Amino acid sequence: MSATGEKLSGRRRGFTLDSPYVFVLPALILFGMFSLYPILRSLYLSFFDYNFLRPEQMHFVGLGNYREMLHDERVMSWPGIITPQGHLAWWQIPLYPFLVLWLTINSPGGAFWNTIRFTLMFVPPAVVLPLFLAVMVDKAGRLSGLFRTLNFVPVVVSVAVTSIIWMWIYHPDYGVVNTALRDLGVKREFDWLSDPKLAMPAVVAMCVWGAMGFNMLLYLVGLQRIPVEVQEAARVDGATGWQVFWGVTLPLLRPTVFLVGLLALIGALKVFTQMFIMTGGGPGDSTLSMVLYLYNIAFRYGRFRFGYASALAWALALFIFVVSLISFRISRERE
Amino acid sequence: MMVIFFDKLKKYLSRALLYLVLTVVSAVSILPFLWVILSSLKPHDELYSKHLTFLPHHYTLHNYTQMVQRMVGFGLYYRNSVLVSVGTVVLTLFVGSLAAYALARFRFRGAQALFLIFLGTMMVPGEVGLIGQYELLSAYKLLNTLTGLTLSYTAFNLALTVFVMYSVFQAVPQELLDAARVDGCSWWETFWQIMIPLGASGLAAAGTLVFLAAWNEFIFALTMNNWTDEARTLPVGIQLLQGQWQHWDYGVLFASVMLSFLPVIILFLFLQKYFMRGLTAGAVKG
Repeated sequence: MSATGEKLSGRRRGFTLDSPYVFVLPALILFGMFSLYPILRSLYLSFFDYNFLRPEQMHFVGLGNYREMLHDERVMSWPGIITPQGHLAWWQIPLYPFLVLWLTINSPGGAFWNTIRFTLMFVPPAVVLPLFLAVMVDKAGRLSGLFRTLNFVPVVVSVAVTSIIWMWIYHPDYGVVNTALRDLGVKREFDWLSDPKLAMPAVVAMCVWGAMGFNMLLYLVGLQRIPVEVQEAARVDGATGWQVFWGVTLPLLRPTVFLVGLLALIGALKVFTQMFIMTGGGPGDSTLSMVLYLYNIAFRYGRFRFGYASALAWALALFIFVVSLISFRISRERE
Repeated sequence: MMVIFFDKLKKYLSRALLYLVLTVVSAVSILPFLWVILSSLKPHDELYSKHLTFLPHHYTLHNYTQMVQRMVGFGLYYRNSVLVSVGTVVLTLFVGSLAAYALARFRFRGAQALFLIFLGTMMVPGEVGLIGQYELLSAYKLLNTLTGLTLSYTAFNLALTVFVMYSVFQAVPQELLDAARVDGCSWWETFWQIMIPLGASGLAAAGTLVFLAAWNEFIFALTMNNWTDEARTLPVGIQLLQGQWQHWDYGVLFASVMLSFLPVIILFLFLQKYFMRGLTAGAVKG
């Protein structure tokens, strides 16, 4: 007994398992192999013409893949500024700039433009609506917990599952939206996910619905950090509810608004699942996003073009990085 | 008198309006799920109705019995999802908290570099690694295996877990560790006997977050495990079944979708506290 005890302690003195290096080692190995390596490998591959099924033909092309991307119609094509056609009704004339903006944003283009227009449609409501919701939930007193829970439910369900549910909601014959419209007496039939003008807004609506709960929670956390005294002081000074919101709450909440906005922005630029399931990028390419396109290039079109797909992925990552950096700059300057 | 009356009235009205709006918004959030639950109990003629029916006129379990009999794969996908998610949670919490322990309580060379690597990789969107990952798993014959997916998910959630647990472990008072050392505990024993029990609520928060991420993950599961049914997880499987059944039988699909989201929602209702804490910690850090 004593002999083995000595042996053990002897071994401990030489090489000990009881060290911080041993503790971080499993994490380092797993992280390095399955997180860091694949990212760097993708970067490396982006400089090669590489078909996964024909590894022997792999060859270096420098920035060739990135150049191909800039000339790829399915990535870079842009419809341009769209102006309303035909005669305008009188009430449309003061709205002209908004009309042009909407028509332009709602016109399909290449994967890059589609990703941008998805982001433009998604981010503003996904930032603003949950803010109002959070303020209301915060004011709901004893029922606040209940409302928070109810609105949070969509967040915990897989996006794949919610996408399928929304496909049924949008079903042209039996979906909730169309049956309800029919019962309300609307004559026109909408084919939400197959109409190039409706598909993107329909997908965006579903995404905003799915993002409400999470963003609401972030705002609620932010609201709790604001000392109650500040708002009460403004109240005592005679400010109305709206004045307190605009003058006190919102300025103090600005860091949270920025966080929500940035997360929504990054998430929107990476959108994939909703389009993959609900529209497959169609009709035409009208809802083809960057990640969906690169997925298709790598795994769908049967050519396993891993080099080009990697270049698309890295170009998107760089774009996201630059956009985040600009957002940070802007938020700094405001402060 | 009148002024006070109107003031009170205004207060009540604005309160009522607040609850009304909140009720409507909350309804929009959960109605899609309620609709699926109710629809899964409807007979065919009501499912394929061109008019809006919310509550079933006749309740039936026909869709569920049909699903059990005819929907091959659903049970397998379910099992796979449970195995991958639980495996990921266990592995991530163990490996992650061990690393967090080292980073939070020891000074050693390379600690800073390690932190920077974790942080830097978190900034890169995971999708960028999709292709490299596919190649890697293919090289190690881990495509279409639960092991491959579990290892990938563990790696994705590791940085976040390390950051959450790092702040938890840093808050543990040094005196406790010193006392344990005096009692002859090795660092390894200290980890199990002091850090883990004291960090339990942090572990629960990180664990629920990791579980949610693994249970719901789509693009990697789609890419890595899509050749055979063997290791296909629920989100991908459900999407596949939707493709196969949509022209045949919506009732069966409603039943399967309902079974895929109900457990998570129930789990969430019970573990709400941890879900919320984990998610906010994760979002603020990430």
